Amino acid sequence: MTGRIFDIKEFSVHDGPGARVTVFMKGCRMRCVWCHNPEGQSTEKEIMHKLSQCDGCGLCTRDNRTPYPRDPGACPRGLITLCGEDVTEEDLAERLLRYAPRLERMGGGVTFSGGDPIVQAEFVARVSSRLRDSGVHTAAETSLCGSADEAALLAENTDLMIVDLKLADSALHEKYTGMPNGMISDNIRLLKERGTCIMFRTPLIPGITDGAENLRALAEIAGGHPWEKLAYNLLAGAKYAMLGRKFDEKGEIGAR
Amino acid sequence: MQLREYIKTRQHRNVRKRLPDDLFAPEFSRLGLCPEERMTRRFEYMTSHETPVILPGELITMSRTLANIPDCFTASEWEEIRRDHFVHELGYGSNVCIDWQGVLERGLLDYRRSADGYGRRMIDALLDLCRRYSAAARAAGRDDIADVLDRVPAYPATTFREALQSFRAVHFALWLEGNYHNTCGRFDKYASKYLERDIAEGRLDRASALELTEDFFLSFNKDSDLYPGVQQGDNGQSMMLGGTDGNGRPVFGMLSELCLEAAGANMMTDPKINIRVSSETPDDVYLKGSRLTVAGLGFPQYSNDDVVIPGLIKAGYSPADAADYTVAACWEFIIPKYGEDICNIGALSFPKAVNDAIRRPGADAGFETLMKAVKLEIRAQADGICDGIRNIFFVPSPFRRLFLEPRYRNFGIHGTGIATAADSLAAINELVFRSRELTLAELTEAVDTDFEGKNALLNRLRTGMPKMGQDNDAVDKIAGELLDAFSSSLRGKVNCFGGCFRAGTGTAMFYLSHADALPASPDGRRRGEPFGTNFSPSLFARIPGPFSVISSFTKHDLTDTVNGGPLTLEFAASSFGDEESLCKLAMLVREFVRSRGHQLQLNAVSSERLRDAQKHPELYPYLIVRIWGWSAYFVELDRRYQDHVIARQEYSV
Repeated sequence: MTGRIFDIKEFSVHDGPGARVTVFMKGCRMRCVWCHNPEGQSTEKEIMHKLSQCDGCGLCTRDNRTPYPRDPGACPRGLITLCGEDVTEEDLAERLLRYAPRLERMGGGVTFSGGDPIVQAEFVARVSSRLRDSGVHTAAETSLCGSADEAALLAENTDLMIVDLKLADSALHEKYTGMPNGMISDNIRLLKERGTCIMFRTPLIPGITDGAENLRALAEIAGGHPWEKLAYNLLAGAKYAMLGRKFDEKGEIGAR
Repeated sequence: MQLREYIKTRQHRNVRKRLPDDLFAPEFSRLGLCPEERMTRRFEYMTSHETPVILPGELITMSRTLANIPDCFTASEWEEIRRDHFVHELGYGSNVCIDWQGVLERGLLDYRRSADGYGRRMIDALLDLCRRYSAAARAAGRDDIADVLDRVPAYPATTFREALQSFRAVHFALWLEGNYHNTCGRFDKYASKYLERDIAEGRLDRASALELTEDFFLSFNKDSDLYPGVQQGDNGQSMMLGGTDGNGRPVFGMLSELCLEAAGANMMTDPKINIRVSSETPDDVYLKGSRLTVAGLGFPQYSNDDVVIPGLIKAGYSPADAADYTVAACWEFIIPKYGEDICNIGALSFPKAVNDAIRRPGADAGFETLMKAVKLEIRAQADGICDGIRNIFFVPSPFRRLFLEPRYRNFGIHGTGIATAADSLAAINELVFRSRELTLAELTEAVDTDFEGKNALLNRLRTGMPKMGQDNDAVDKIAGELLDAFSSSLRGKVNCFGGCFRAGTGTAMFYLSHADALPASPDGRRRGEPFGTNFSPSLFARIPGPFSVISSFTKHDLTDTVNGGPLTLEFAASSFGDEESLCKLAMLVREFVRSRGHQLQLNAVSSERLRDAQKHPELYPYLIVRIWGWSAYFVELDRRYQDHVIARQEYSV
């Protein structure tokens, strides 16, 4: 089976226990206005321009005669990249297993993030299961925005589910993420019933998720499971320009 | 702390005077004085013209009031010396570690008994300055300082404070004699007993000992602006902590901890902290070290006893001496008291060897042939460097040599641009010999024209070829072969003092100049782009992260490249805001050590802050970065060194 990833990051320190390797899965069903990995949203491959490092040498346009070349080979410094790589489950598992001895010594493992791994639940489950067979601890960091089957597949084949909690009110949830939260709540209930090891996470988005009422309601959902609140970094919009998009177009973040 | 603000705002510099540059040399020359006499007379002048100043609130005293040390030789004398001799750098003593333990335990009057005439005059001159300092302290109502100076450095130190003041006086004198890169040795090893005694006998508690250590550390920053190396900050005031004592017991203890805390409290560049670690080191040491890394000082730097000690023994150091190693200035290993090695006497450029080899007739016959050619070029460079060092001239240091008993006079040679060279060869192997997409002559032509009109090739070389730092076995193996060729080219060579030559993985400042001396290189490095620092990936290599970097840079046995030269890992400081992630950073360092890396330095800064500091230097006077083996205030660096640090960050893990 083949899956689509957009990055593998070594030594992530905030994605589960110990020092980890994080695999970024391409594709997400939600469109959170604060998303800082916009290149993970679409399941399609996308061209990215790392404009911040471009020194304007002009070599790319000289070859292509267009101001924004779409060809990843056009920039001699490699600042034009194709975001999205297709990998087979065997290849990905092999690449990740190379880290296994180090991860074990450092009390860590592999975390599937994204994007949202639930979009490619079966692929993630298969790779994760191969890793666990070799004794590697795995985690999936997901919104749980998917079917009950997908949620169960991830939960069954990982050691830890890191679940994003955003807004308790479904209408607001839909307004800011593009999706209602009914399916998510159902899946959380399902995971709790299964006795899955869950860690909840909430990004504190000024004016959107950080209100006292919302946090009280989320606390109830988290219900005694570990729950991390992440301060939001306002520089998080940096990647939008690389995709030719605009960050927080309606100015919703911080507008109370 | 009052003193810290006073020094950071540079108020102590107001009392400084400049001496005329021709104060000594013309007269010394006219009198036809020998070098020793010149050094002694100059030291006598300097010590007697220093004005004792007691800074507000300071506990450990002595600050420079004479801003410069005029040369002992005239320009035409230097010209003559350089005509007949190899002169290392400035020609004055540098980069060795004196017997600090002896200084503290014996006191200078004991040394005076066995000193030669020059040595006695040097000691008398320093003790006279100390007496004047004592009198000034008493006049200022600071009997505490005066009482300490009435004992040290003349007599053995009996308390921690006396030990620190004794060190300060002798360190001050080393600089004043005209030596540079005066390193501090294994501070916790030789100073712990004074602290422990004071604590046991109730003279100090942990808090007052920390205050004293902070004050002592500030003393390294009082005059450091007068000690510029290649760049401001490159002054060799390095302090080694940890390791084991003569009985194999770990040294790291309370004083070591206080040193890490004091450095973190001061947030100044000096002294630069190093920690000796091994597979036996407890996690706690890494955690304490990592706390300082995250503070953003660019240190501690770690040295791995498991690799360094066997390496030094291989190079001919006795096991007991090898076990006592420290760093000479940046990362070059040296033995306190017994080492008079010149650890940085030359530098070999791996990319130059590749550049020369691809032009050899017949080099395109196959990859093995090319590798042979590269190794021959490495040997030729090594021969050239070693043969060029004959009839070496050093200005003697009658004061410094009181505290040395040289057993080792080996020479260290840096090896620069290892990743650029290995990546270049891997790319040639791939494109010329495997896929046969182009000939070696065509690739060489592209290199010589700086890849003009060859965008696609350039992109391919930079982003599509295997790089050191990606845990790619093929390219890492090439790097290993280059390192072996380097160390075996030096093996068996005898230097003019009868010592050996040590191969190293450091670059020092050559990551700029060696790169400037070449056209582009086959890995896609364009003309004018620098190499990586020391033993590190090339600046534009796409690196998946620190695990791969550590794998690449520990795969090869490093005991044969024991001149030193650390791997540098760059991090965004913001990643380690909490205690849990700090522990993970500590685990990463431990992992490096267990993987048998030899030396590691870490930078935790943010490239946005660095860029902003370039635009608004006035807002960032104390922003510290690690350069090639020392920490510096970012805004005091030349632009090219600033840009290099930023480039390292942007491709960082």
